[in-house]
Amino acid sequence: MSVGHTASDAELASDALAGSEAAYRELVTRYATPAVNFIFRFVRDRALAEDLAQEGFLRVYQRLNTFDPGRKFSSWFFQVLRNITIDYLRVHRLPTASLDELAEAGNQGAAVDRDSASPEQLAGQRELATAMSAALSRIRPEYREVVVLRYQEGLTQPEIAEILGLPSGTVKTYLHRARKELAGILAEQGWAPGSETLSSEVP
Amino acid sequence: MDRKQLERWLAEEEGGHDAAADAAFARLFTAMPRVEATPAFVEQAVTAAWRWRARRRRLIAFGWAVASVLVAAGVLGLYLASPRLAPVLIKALAYVSGHAVPWLVAYTTVAMNWWLTLAHVGGVVASALVTPARAAALVGVELFGILAFFALQRIAGAGRFGDAQV
Repeated sequence: MSVGHTASDAELASDALAGSEAAYRELVTRYATPAVNFIFRFVRDRALAEDLAQEGFLRVYQRLNTFDPGRKFSSWFFQVLRNITIDYLRVHRLPTASLDELAEAGNQGAAVDRDSASPEQLAGQRELATAMSAALSRIRPEYREVVVLRYQEGLTQPEIAEILGLPSGTVKTYLHRARKELAGILAEQGWAPGSETLSSEVP
Repeated sequence: MDRKQLERWLAEEEGGHDAAADAAFARLFTAMPRVEATPAFVEQAVTAAWRWRARRRRLIAFGWAVASVLVAAGVLGLYLASPRLAPVLIKALAYVSGHAVPWLVAYTTVAMNWWLTLAHVGGVVASALVTPARAAALVGVELFGILAFFALQRIAGAGRFGDAQV
């Protein structure tokens, strides 16, 4: 048994498969927030994201015997989550979101660092996080997933390519285009250098 | 996540410095808050998995028990019935093979004749229709079809998230 903060994901998966509840608990603890955060970016509903993430963890547990320890666990895990999200979205078409809803969705993912900032800075950070989250909701879903996997979950381009079943070059192109689109949306909203934004008006 | 990081990234994007823009965006986005799982999430996930595990183990144990009982009952039944069953079985086997084998041989011969006739007709038709030009055209069409199939598959793969469009 190698349960603990130092054990690798593959070791934990192997122990969980052998019947260690502690190993599975550690695995869930590690991936709970990445899972909910990843799914939330597509379904825009926190409760639903948690439900789908729960389903994802159960499916991962049911298929642990098919996990190849030679592969990176996170790649395999996000592949399962992605399939569950796609299956859900195929059946339940999401309604077109209004800008208000996008801002609200952005707010849900827009907690800020409260320890080291003044109230003005906090307000500015919150507003920027909300704007970024809303902008993320507006770009193409395939761009959104590469952005979240690359910049929030820290996966490499080849790992993302493996999850999405795309060539690594396509992932690179998606990342480039996603950044360009996000920059365009944020500039449109007045966040470009030199422009006056709502953040500067916060009292 | 602050305004300076954002401005640095936007400036790098504006300047077309891809690597620098990527690094600046990574710094900015890493600081972006995540949607956290609720405190009860882990417990619920573990409970669900262990409940499934217990159910599965019960199901497997039940399956083994049923299979063992059936096998034991079958063996016992055969043992008890064997003195009466054996002569009946041997007679039935002899009767079936005595009647079935000649019929089987006859039908197989008829089927073979039909097959040989069909093969002969097919050979004549093929030799009349197939020319090198036609064969080349057929291969060309099939290659085109395969390419079109792969192209459609790629397009369908790229559009898997279509329903998630905001």
